[in-house]
Amino acid sequence: MSSEPTRFSAMVDPTAGPANRARATVLADRKPDLVGRKVGLLANVKRNAEQFLDEVGALLGREHGAEVVLRRKKLSITDPVPPDVLAELVAACDVVVVGVGDCGSCSASAVADGLALEDAGIPAVVVCSDAFGVTADAMAALKGSPGYHYVQIPHPVAPLGPEELRHRAVAALPEIVATLTTGHAHAAA
Amino acid sequence: MTRAEESADITVAEDVAADEERLAYTRAAIEYAFDQGWTDGLPVVPVTRTMVEEFLAQTTRPADEVIAAVPHLGRECTVEQAAVNAALAGCRPEYFPVVLAAWEALGRDRAVMGGGWQSTSGPAPLIVVNGPIRHRLAINCTGGVLGPGFRANATIARAIGLVVRNVFGIRPQELEQATQGVPGRWSLCIGENEEDSPWEPLATEVGLPAGTDAVSATLLRTCEFVDNRNTQSPEELLADFADTISRTGAAIVPFSSAGLVLGVEHAELLAANGFTKRDVQQWLYERCVRSHEDLARVGKSLDGRIGDDGLHMLPSPEQLLIVVAGARNAAMSMVVRPFGFAGWSRSAVPIERR
Repeated sequence: MSSEPTRFSAMVDPTAGPANRARATVLADRKPDLVGRKVGLLANVKRNAEQFLDEVGALLGREHGAEVVLRRKKLSITDPVPPDVLAELVAACDVVVVGVGDCGSCSASAVADGLALEDAGIPAVVVCSDAFGVTADAMAALKGSPGYHYVQIPHPVAPLGPEELRHRAVAALPEIVATLTTGHAHAAA
Repeated sequence: MTRAEESADITVAEDVAADEERLAYTRAAIEYAFDQGWTDGLPVVPVTRTMVEEFLAQTTRPADEVIAAVPHLGRECTVEQAAVNAALAGCRPEYFPVVLAAWEALGRDRAVMGGGWQSTSGPAPLIVVNGPIRHRLAINCTGGVLGPGFRANATIARAIGLVVRNVFGIRPQELEQATQGVPGRWSLCIGENEEDSPWEPLATEVGLPAGTDAVSATLLRTCEFVDNRNTQSPEELLADFADTISRTGAAIVPFSSAGLVLGVEHAELLAANGFTKRDVQQWLYERCVRSHEDLARVGKSLDGRIGDDGLHMLPSPEQLLIVVAGARNAAMSMVVRPFGFAGWSRSAVPIERR
């Protein structure tokens, strides 16, 4: 049986509603490198998130001449970054690393946070575990920025020991740096 | 056969053919809804503008009033969108005020307003209806209360799920990340069996006047049966509940939660021995505790994060949700598991009556 849309013109679309207010986010301007740049780390409460970001922060310092100046933790895994924390990051940092999205809702909210930072003019990189790529992509699309680039690390993150965590950070570093600089041009939409 | 009989036969055949055509069109409409991704996997009712108006006529609330939202997704649901999806779910228009009250009750649940709909746990809303409206709408509260088989129960719960899917855009394997999900998701709407309960109804317990039509709601991670037709001792029965409530697998350390959908016979046994709901809550709160050794044995050690006595499986006595529902034909009950990071709202929302 074929379904011709025109045949069902009287059927009400249950997905229809007030227009989606999302607009594409314009990514913040990038510099060629991270030398002398002030780095913010925005973690969530998932196990190992802060530890992973600390490893990344240390590597950015040692290998790229950047400096971690602000560490913040979101206490809700599902909510977007609170406005006061966002303002603090925007005021103090040149670039921000967000993560780790390793659950259904926190990966989506991490992507939303990355886009909020970009919108405020701060280059950001979002790190998610690769089990949640679909939900991160869906979030980016919902926010009007389909195809938004984030860095994926292998799932799972929560049960890793310090050494394994360090290896994950080392492996992800080149892509993190590229995403925060002009080394890798990513269009938001 | 007379000429008149022949002519009647032809008329019947024409009617059947015309009806066949209309039914084929209806089937095509249902297939169209599947193709659009509007359904939860079961057929939906094709919705027309006229139907939506019938639903909207059941409430005084404006069609464009926002009744639910997922703030971090920037998504909102209006009265009208809820009406469209209630019609789609197979609700009768007169169920709509219950659906609206259910949304308000769910909105009081911290998990719902956060990322609960997207959780890897795939939680199911439990919608509890109190008051005479149960009889007016034939909302089942006795035999087979957890379903299936009753239109009001099945479609009111489904109306919630279709809004999550169609209005919020939270679909499985996309923005919804349920690892396995929960049996009964989008089908758990129950009436409390107030007539056979020895205690005050849930809505009264949490503060509404007796006899109010009302909805309470929370998200559940599962139901687990406790079959105990063996004892006449209230303490033995409570100890049986305590064993299930205290299961380590249900502890998302350091959080845990539980509720009871009590069968009538269990409720009567407890009440006949002088237990109030409050007594049941207190008894179970005190005894549902897992030691540090128990938690360590399953890799969920909480050393240093909680007190020496171990993990209370209930955050507080009053957080034990108690509803009496089901038939008076066997002594069995369900332990239910509220999603539980922040507890359930302990409130009931009055249902609007025009």
